[in-house]
Amino acid sequence: MNRRDFLKNAVMSGAALTLPLGMAPFLSLSEGADRPDLAVVRGASPARITSAAINELGGMRRFVSRGDIVVVKPNIGWDRTPEYAANTNPEVVAEIVRLCYGAEAKQVKVFDHPVSDARRTYKQSGIAAAAIAAGAQVSFVDERKFKDVAIKGQLLKTWPLYTEIIEADKVINIPVAKVHGIATLTLGMKNWMGIMGGSRGRIHQRIDESLVDLARFVRPSLVILDAVRILVDNGPQGGSLSDVRRLDTVIAGTDQVAVDAFGTTLFGMKPDALGCVRIAHNAGLGSMNISRLRIKRLII
Amino acid sequence: MKPDKPANPFSKHLTMANLRRFSQALFLLLFLWLFLQTESKGANELGYPVKIFLDADPLIWLTTILASRSFYGVFILALTVIIFTVILGRVFCGWICPLGTLHHLTGKLQKRLKKRTVLNKQVSLRSDNLYRFKYLLLIFLMVAAIFGVQLAGLFDPLALLIRSLSLAVYPMFSYALRSLFDGVFAWNIPYITGGSEFVYGFLKKTALPFSQPLFLQGIFIGLIFFLILALNLWEKRFWCKYLCPLGALLGLLSRYALLKRSVSEDCDGCGVCTQGCQGGACLSGNPGGASVDKTKDKAQEWKSAECLMCLNCDDPCPKNAVSFGFSRKPAPAALDLGKRRVLSSMLAGIAAAPLLRITPLTKVGAVEPTLIRPPGALAEEIFLKRCVKCGECMKVCITGGLQPTFLEAGLEGIWSPVLVPRIGYCEYRCTLCGQVCPTGAIRKLTLEEKAATKIGLAMIDKGRCLPFAHNMSCIVCEEVCPTSPKAIWFEEVRLRDRQGREMLLKQPHVDLSLCVGCGICETKCPVLGHPAITVTNLGESRSKDNQLLL
Repeated sequence: MNRRDFLKNAVMSGAALTLPLGMAPFLSLSEGADRPDLAVVRGASPARITSAAINELGGMRRFVSRGDIVVVKPNIGWDRTPEYAANTNPEVVAEIVRLCYGAEAKQVKVFDHPVSDARRTYKQSGIAAAAIAAGAQVSFVDERKFKDVAIKGQLLKTWPLYTEIIEADKVINIPVAKVHGIATLTLGMKNWMGIMGGSRGRIHQRIDESLVDLARFVRPSLVILDAVRILVDNGPQGGSLSDVRRLDTVIAGTDQVAVDAFGTTLFGMKPDALGCVRIAHNAGLGSMNISRLRIKRLII
Repeated sequence: MKPDKPANPFSKHLTMANLRRFSQALFLLLFLWLFLQTESKGANELGYPVKIFLDADPLIWLTTILASRSFYGVFILALTVIIFTVILGRVFCGWICPLGTLHHLTGKLQKRLKKRTVLNKQVSLRSDNLYRFKYLLLIFLMVAAIFGVQLAGLFDPLALLIRSLSLAVYPMFSYALRSLFDGVFAWNIPYITGGSEFVYGFLKKTALPFSQPLFLQGIFIGLIFFLILALNLWEKRFWCKYLCPLGALLGLLSRYALLKRSVSEDCDGCGVCTQGCQGGACLSGNPGGASVDKTKDKAQEWKSAECLMCLNCDDPCPKNAVSFGFSRKPAPAALDLGKRRVLSSMLAGIAAAPLLRITPLTKVGAVEPTLIRPPGALAEEIFLKRCVKCGECMKVCITGGLQPTFLEAGLEGIWSPVLVPRIGYCEYRCTLCGQVCPTGAIRKLTLEEKAATKIGLAMIDKGRCLPFAHNMSCIVCEEVCPTSPKAIWFEEVRLRDRQGREMLLKQPHVDLSLCVGCGICETKCPVLGHPAITVTNLGESRSKDNQLLL
C-alpha cells in the first residue's frame, strides 16, 4: 500500500464514519472501483466456492440490505437428482440463502415454476430440503399469484409473471449451465422462464428476443451461474451421467449478460454465438465482451 | 341400557353398540386418512400401505383369482376377514366397512327427516325378499369370474367407494374449498384474507389435493354414488341389505358363524330390537304388534347371514332378552333364493364373457389407439381380468393424466385407467400407479423397468407442427422429452420465409425405438386443442401384436 492509497483509505474511512447512513451507497460505489465484474471460483465444495465468489464481489451485504425480502430463483425445472445436473446445485442454493440471512435479509424465498411435477422436482433436486435447512421459505408456485404484467419489451408486451418476483426487494438468479435444444444453452436469462405463467411454450417461437425482454424487466441484483456440474448433452433435462461434466465452478456477477457470456465459454462457444447474449448486448442490457471485463479467478 | 346394570356412568356408555360405533369411526378415519395419503409428496414412495382395505376385501381377492386364474399379492388380510367372518359373522360390514359406515350415517339423516314414520321405515316389510338380490348378484359375479370376466370391481363396496371418492367426491370437495378461499383471496379483505390464507395453507398441507383433480365422467360416477347413498333415505343401509355383493359373500360365510344371537323366553315381541336393526336380520314377525306364537316367531326372527353384528338390538331390549354368545346350535333356516333365480344368475354370468367380448376391439389392428394403459399394465386380456376399477391409480397419478375409460376398452373395461396425454402425461421417473394397484393389474416397476417400458409411441402431425407447416421455430417437444438420449431429435434445415429470406429452422423427429410414449410432448405441445404431436398405444411393451417396429 503506497502513501496515496493510505491517504485515500483514511479519508474514505473517516468519511464513512461521519457520513449519514444514506450516503453509504455512494461510498460503496467508489469502494467497488477495483472489484471484479465476474468472480469465477473453482473448488471441491459447492458451498465454499459460492461464498468465496460472493466475497470477491464484495460480500452479500453489497446486494442485500437489512430487512430485505429476497427471492432466490434456482432452476428446479426437472425431476432429476443433483448428479444429473438438470437443476441448480442444492448446496449452492443453500449457501446463497445463508449468505442472504447473514446480510440480515428479513426473508428469503425460494421457488420455481417447473416443467415436471413440482412436488417431484423440489424433492428430487434436493433443493427444497437444502433451502429449508438454510432457513428459506420454500413454496410451490400458487397459480393465483401470476398476474398479467406490462413487460413492455420489444416482443413481449404483457405476460403473466409471478408476483412474488415483482414484489421482492432483491432478486438473485441462480441458474445451472446446460445445453438446450432451441436456445442452444440455458444459462441465466433462460432461467427467467421459470417466473412465467400462461402458455409459456409459445416463447420458443422467438426464444432469444423473449428472454431478453424478460431479463430487461427482472434485472436481478446478483447472478450466480452454477457450473459445479454442467449438462453437455440431452439438455435441458439430461438423464444420463455421461451427459454431465464436473467443472466444480461457480461464476458470479451483477451483469446478467456478462455472466451468460462467460457461461458460453464453458461449452467452448463464443458469447455472440448465443442469441440472447448477443441481442442483450446490442440492446445495452450488459456486456458480452468478456475480454474487457475484470474477471477474478480463484481456485480454493 | 339394561335395567339390571349398575348406575355407573362409565359402564353406562361402555355398551357393545358404543364399542361398535368407536370401531366404525376408527376404521372410517383410517380409510379416509389412507385415502389422503394416496398422493405423491415428491418421493417415489408413498410411505403408507394405502391399499390395505382393498387387500382385505375377500370379494376382490376371490374374483381376481377366479378370473385371472392366478394367485397374487398379499392375501393375509383377505383371509383374516374370511376367518373372522366364519367365526363372528358379518363384523366387517357392521364394524369396519367404511362404505357401510357412510350408509349408517346417511341412514341417521332419515331418522331426522322422517321422525314420525320412523317405525314403519326402520325395516321395510314390503321388501321381504329383496335381500336375495345381492346373493344373485354375487352368483352372477362369481360365475362371470369363473368364465374370466372381472366385473366385481363395479359393485364391490370398497372399489366403489374409492372410485367415487377419487373421481368425484374429493374433486368436488377440493373445488368447493378452493373456490371459497380463492374468492376471499381475490377480495383481499384486511385481516380476513390473511386468516383465510392461513387456513388454506394448512388445508393444502393436510386435506386438500396438491392440484385440483379433474376426471372424465366424474359427474357420472358421482351421481351413481350419491344415488346409492340416497337409498338410505328410502331404507337404512339399502345397499348393505339388498345390493352389496361383498355383504352377500360375507353373509354366506357367516351362516354358520359361532357368534349367534339368542332370545330368551322373556321376549314379548315388542319389536324395539327391529327398530335399530342395521341389517335385515329381523325381518319376520310383526314388530308393531304382538305375535301369537312367540317361539315360532323367535326362531325365524334372526337371519345370521343378514346380521351386520351391529349389536343395536342388544342394549335397548326392555326385557333384557337379547344376548349374543358363542354356540354351536344348529344352523338357521336354509337360504332360499329360488332355484330358477339362481340358475338365471348363473346363466347371466356364463353369458357375460361372450356378450362383452364380441367386440372388434380385440382384433389385431383394431384396438382403440387412444387406449394408452399405465406403465406396467399387463397385456390387455389379463389386465381386464385383474383391474377392479377402484381408481387408486387415477387418484395417485401425479399429473392427473390417468383417467377412467368409458367404452374405449369395451364395456368390460369401463372405468379402467387410460392415460390421456392432453390432460396429463406419464412422469418419467414415477411408478406410483403400480405401487397402489391392489390386484397387480399394473405391475410395480423399478425405475430401470419403467424407463424400458413403452406405453405407446408419439408421432408428429406435419400439417400442424410449427417448424414443418408454418416455418416457425418451436421444438418444445424436444426440450421436454425425458429419455436419454432424447427420443425426439431435430434436424436443422434451411428454409425461406414468405419474403424469401433464408432461415435456419429445427424440425423435430421421433426416434420410434427410443420413444416410451409418456406423452409429455403432447401435453406440452403449444398447438393446443389438436396437438401437433400425439401419442397412441401403438408399440406398447405389454402387447405382442400392437407393434410397429421390426
